[in-house]
Amino acid sequence: MLDTTLPRPGFVARFFRSLRLPLNDPFAVAGLAIYAIFILTAIFADAIAPYDPTEILYTPNYDLAADLRPGEDGFILGTTSLGRDIFSQIVYGTRSALLIGLTAAFMVALIGSIVGLVSGYFGGWVDALLMRLADVAFGIPFLPFVIVLAAFLEPSIWNVVIAMALVLWRDTGRVIRSQVLTLRSRSYVDAARVSGSSDFKIILRHIAPNILPLSFLYGSIAIGWAILTEASISFLGFGDPQSISWGYMLQDAFASQALAKQAYYWFVPPGVCIILVVSAGFFITRGYENLLFPKLGR
Amino acid sequence: MSHLKAMASRALQLALVLWAVVTILFLMFRLMPGNPMAAYIDPTFTVEQQEALMAQFGLDKPLWEQYLIYLGNLLQGELGQSFRYREPVAERLMTLLPNTLILTFSSLIVAYTFGILAGAYLAWRRGSVVENTAIPLVLTTRAMPEFWLGMVLLAVFSFWLGWFPAGGTRPAGASYDSLWALYTSREFLSYLALPALTLAIYSQGLPLLLMRSNMLDVMKEDFVTMARIKGLSNWSVVVRHAARNALLPVMTSFAIAVGYQLQGNVVVESVFSWPGLGRELVNAVSASDYPLAQGAFLMIAVVVILMNLIADLLYSLLDPRISHA
Amino acid sequence: MTETLLSVRDLKVSYQVGKGSIDAVDGASFDVPRGSIVGLVGESGCGKTTVARALTRVIADNASITGGQILFDGQDIAALPEREMNALRWRDIAFIPQSAMNSLDPVYTVEYQLNEVLRRRGGLGRRQARARCEELFEMVGIEAGRLGDYPHQFSGGMRQRVAIALALALNPKLVIADEPVTALDVIVQRQILDQLRELQSMLGISVILVTHDISVVAYVCDRTVVMYAGRIAEAGPMDAVLMEPSHPYTMGLRNAFPDLKGAASGVLTPIEGAPPNLAFPPPGCRFAPRCPFAVETCTTQQPALGMVAPDHRVSCHRADEAAKLRQEAARTETWLADA
Repeated sequence: MLDTTLPRPGFVARFFRSLRLPLNDPFAVAGLAIYAIFILTAIFADAIAPYDPTEILYTPNYDLAADLRPGEDGFILGTTSLGRDIFSQIVYGTRSALLIGLTAAFMVALIGSIVGLVSGYFGGWVDALLMRLADVAFGIPFLPFVIVLAAFLEPSIWNVVIAMALVLWRDTGRVIRSQVLTLRSRSYVDAARVSGSSDFKIILRHIAPNILPLSFLYGSIAIGWAILTEASISFLGFGDPQSISWGYMLQDAFASQALAKQAYYWFVPPGVCIILVVSAGFFITRGYENLLFPKLGR
Repeated sequence: MSHLKAMASRALQLALVLWAVVTILFLMFRLMPGNPMAAYIDPTFTVEQQEALMAQFGLDKPLWEQYLIYLGNLLQGELGQSFRYREPVAERLMTLLPNTLILTFSSLIVAYTFGILAGAYLAWRRGSVVENTAIPLVLTTRAMPEFWLGMVLLAVFSFWLGWFPAGGTRPAGASYDSLWALYTSREFLSYLALPALTLAIYSQGLPLLLMRSNMLDVMKEDFVTMARIKGLSNWSVVVRHAARNALLPVMTSFAIAVGYQLQGNVVVESVFSWPGLGRELVNAVSASDYPLAQGAFLMIAVVVILMNLIADLLYSLLDPRISHA
Repeated sequence: MTETLLSVRDLKVSYQVGKGSIDAVDGASFDVPRGSIVGLVGESGCGKTTVARALTRVIADNASITGGQILFDGQDIAALPEREMNALRWRDIAFIPQSAMNSLDPVYTVEYQLNEVLRRRGGLGRRQARARCEELFEMVGIEAGRLGDYPHQFSGGMRQRVAIALALALNPKLVIADEPVTALDVIVQRQILDQLRELQSMLGISVILVTHDISVVAYVCDRTVVMYAGRIAEAGPMDAVLMEPSHPYTMGLRNAFPDLKGAASGVLTPIEGAPPNLAFPPPGCRFAPRCPFAVETCTTQQPALGMVAPDHRVSCHRADEAAKLRQEAARTETWLADA
């Protein structure tokens, strides 16, 4: 059933063209470059990081390598109070940040797009029900909801991702729905309907390709949100204890009196990394908006 | 008046949302893995106490009956007893609410004052070097984790320079005649400064960007051109006409931002040990103090939903096209 | 004091578009005598609104006055320093915009907006301003009780009256009305135009009425200036220009519009084609590509604005054959594409 309705070859090329990456905006290009660097770091983390991020290290004199300043004993960014290598933690933190960011963004975009498509295309009681659900999602305090879910369920990054997706689909869903409403009234959709195409086929062939850039736009907004949220959750101690994330590093630094010790080398780099990834997402998003809605921009 | 009717239906809609959120909260806390009894009854209570609470919350009854009892209790403002503090959740939260509201409002007032002025200025200087560097900078402040910004400010202004205390709302052992005396004391302000600044730096981006893009739109409107043809002063044109119109949606967003800020407070209050709703929620969740966590969550949700309603009200009050329909 | 209030001499207004520039108004000259209504008529994009706005010197950011003079009361306001120009605005030259809905600020009451002009620009005190507001509303036929209303609470026609009241607030010498009735239905159009005419003759002011609708000119104006593609095609007393048009474009316009007074006089015939792109204007007469009477010279040489009768000027190479052309122009076939 599915393979008969899937678009023909050339779909991949069409997909990338319909994403319409904003390549003429310098900030967006810088954003894409930052992403590329972090993605490469995440992939080659094992090769880049000199140590295991959770390994407790010792100095050549067999002392615990705790609270070393950057450069001391060859530790690029120094060590934590427990003798762990900060640079290696940063490198491995890239993995969980991107993993969380991308999966959450994918889920948000997917759920939001499906809800928007179904709601906008079919209308009626389905639409009314889904939009009331979106209202409820808007009424839920986002961060407290994620905290409670993350704390009650087993602490794992997937639970954080699920908790985020359960709330954040609302914005995407509403925007896609209104886009579908305008698309549905276009003449070629009418023509397809009159000529007997099934609803499923119309959605897949005529409507879905047109909302793809919007889904991507809202997905890229969600990446930043997800990374910031994960950092907050980990900072508050509800994160996955198995994985090293930037939020976890900040919690570790905060709890280990890094502020009083003035150990900027410890808590500044993770924050800067978060800012870089999230603002890279913002710049790509902004380039996208200027591309999709030229009148909003300059 | 039709806009009264519209407001009433909006209020009704939000009441339904609130009911849905309350229901989700109920299910979340009852259907959690582990002993559902634990959600209400502290194992260290005496048998009599446990039985009394069992009866009060109807934990021996079927789920739907528990749900009705839960709703009934909520309607009476009954949120249960905190395990840790052995006091009614509602009372405890009410003593924390003012701290959270003071922090939220003081930071947002600073953020909106700055954001509105800077946004209008950047719209006026559109295309200039100032604007081209300021906008990416503002986007960057939106990309900062609030708690991290708080940590940096704390490390610099408190631990290094020693200008501000590191956390809390008052010096250890200090007591005040009244809450009013506390909130108006100089010490309190010095405790408030850093967390409020943290939240303000994070929050100024929204009003700034909103004000800027609204100004750019409004400056193209006919009535702004007419104001110039009338020979009105530049100040009149830009402030009385352009800014006044551009301000409408920004003011509405203030209420939304209050609701949003309340959620962000959760982390910042934790960084600065600020005794507010957010920090209480985190502590209660960590300590498995379910009634307290549920109450704090509920209170935050109520404020968020209330602020959505106030945003609508504000809009219809400020826009004569709606208020004088 | 001369008979002429305003004399526009060879006015040029250019828009900067990308790296090039477009001369939206390219050498316009016309006069506005005291106490008269002058209709400035032409298709959209012909530069009439640009001329109107240039007279207030509030023009688009990318536009500038690049040549010519605007002699107002003998003073060249095109060369006036901005401060002095601003002192002149609304006190001497007021403006009635096309859409009063968009040009009244939606968040202030009408009284606030009248007061703004009366007090800030007119220097009136609170009580004087109130009295003047009531007087102005009486003049335009709206009850004073509605002064406290917001713009959106008025109907389209009423809003246009408010705009007229606003324009008359400081007793200007010249009122520029930019398509003041275009957005209204025909009956309301007549009421507004009647009122404008009445107030104009009562107050003895001059009015420039910018419109695309030649029947509006016929209904209310003393004089007519016909613009085409940034230039003046024909100018003179309204009767002379509309009854005995000497420019083929004016002849064509007359055929293309119904009478404001009622039924259409004969068949309506549109002028085929579209105005030229002003970024690349045709070398000769700008109307030549659409003109059924164009000859060789028309496509190579710019015609000058010449006198055909006392006070009646035309910019056409075949102006001396006007009587013959008029007869041909009256026939519909002439205007149907012969190509």
